[in-house]
Amino acid sequence: MTAAARQQSSSVADRVQLEVQRAIQRSIKGVEYFGSAAPVVGTTPKDVLLSRGTMKLYHYRPLASEIYRVPILFVMATTNRGYVLDMVPGQSLVEFLLKRGFDVYMLDWTAPRPEERGLKFEDYVLGFIPDCVRRVQQDSGETDVSIIGYCFGGVLSLMYASIHADGPLKNLVCFTTPVDFRQMKLFQNFSDRRYFDVDRLVDSVGNVPPEMILSSFEMLRPASRPIGQITLWENMWNDEFVKGFRTFDRWAQDILPLAGEYFRQTTKDLMWDNKLYERTMTVGGRRADISRIKVPILHAVAEHDHIVPYDAAKPLIATVGSADKEEIMLKGGHISLVAGPNAVKRLWPKLDSWLSERST
Amino acid sequence: MADKGTDPVQMWHTFLADMEKQFNSFSNQAMGSEEFSRAMGQMTGASAGAKKAFGDFMERYLAAMNLPSRSELVDLGERLHAIEGRLNDVMSLLQRVHADVVAADATATGVPRPPRTRRPPSQTGGKT
Repeated sequence: MTAAARQQSSSVADRVQLEVQRAIQRSIKGVEYFGSAAPVVGTTPKDVLLSRGTMKLYHYRPLASEIYRVPILFVMATTNRGYVLDMVPGQSLVEFLLKRGFDVYMLDWTAPRPEERGLKFEDYVLGFIPDCVRRVQQDSGETDVSIIGYCFGGVLSLMYASIHADGPLKNLVCFTTPVDFRQMKLFQNFSDRRYFDVDRLVDSVGNVPPEMILSSFEMLRPASRPIGQITLWENMWNDEFVKGFRTFDRWAQDILPLAGEYFRQTTKDLMWDNKLYERTMTVGGRRADISRIKVPILHAVAEHDHIVPYDAAKPLIATVGSADKEEIMLKGGHISLVAGPNAVKRLWPKLDSWLSERST
Repeated sequence: MADKGTDPVQMWHTFLADMEKQFNSFSNQAMGSEEFSRAMGQMTGASAGAKKAFGDFMERYLAAMNLPSRSELVDLGERLHAIEGRLNDVMSLLQRVHADVVAADATATGVPRPPRTRRPPSQTGGKT
């Protein structure tokens, strides 16, 4: 046997041995997996400042001895829980910002109750967000507030910023926020006005059930969930992988129902009439024209975002009236943009440097 | 170790990734058609209608049996959840008041918050 052949044979033997060891570990840890509790998330110490129905405002306790003057208010997407921004220590954007010297608040959502089915954009844009901004001002003692909106939280923040163009917003950051809803091709097809009777749906079910929303997200990439399960099984020997997978999977499945009227408006005003892009959007009779936004704005988009494709997000920076505006495209998808190892390396440092220059 | 080209595990991973991509792309094409929109619209409408009709029927049936319906139990659960939330708020408030009292005892100046005087690294020569 030649030296090369011997080396090849020994490397195959090593590989086989490694795979056998992993197979044994998979079987042992697989049993543990089904018996173990779900990972604990959202543990950064915080206080509830406001709680009203579906709305909750948190203040995270500062972790730095000296903080920037301007507080930050996160506005979370209405379909998802805010703990994606505060997963586990070391993997938490909130914790990162606190350690970098920011004062952080979060407007998070709980499932709207049946009696909250009548909530509309008016309640979110003219009620919840301004109430939280006022509470943040009162709690921090500062007039200026920066807002960071994630996905549909970004849409609501844009509407708020355009209606309240004269303050008190200091900076606006949007994460992967759609403006041109015609470019969300599959969602457009799911809600085709010729065939999708949104009135019948909302009148029948009241609040739109989370299973329906989850199915529509999963339908965008139907193979990804089963392949994810196979990948999980393959990596069952790897504790770090399993922990990360469970944390994200828990969040991805933890979808909130949407208030019926809010869903009806989203479908008609945004998906059908594309009013935000056309600059004809009104909320409670007030124009929500994003070209009126003049504050510094940063828009972070993901290169492989399957929920908000780049074409849907692109017009944001082109349309707003701010002189200080920037769009950054980062590697990753809709979720890995904001949380996980890629976000730690890419988005978080950029956000820190952008905000720190504008928060004094 | 076997190199990437001949490693069967690596080949399996590549196969899985390609399959996922192809299946997603194929499904997206199929879901982009008008036929799919029509079928989905009909299905959603029918399922919403059926759900409502069945829900109404069950509600009447359970009321006749003097039993609570699912929506009443869900409502009760949500109210309990809201009460829990309120209790958490009260707990949090109590903790803050307690912290205030402890800090006031210690410093007689209330809860100290960090000063809002931080400057960006660009203005402090890179120091954070």
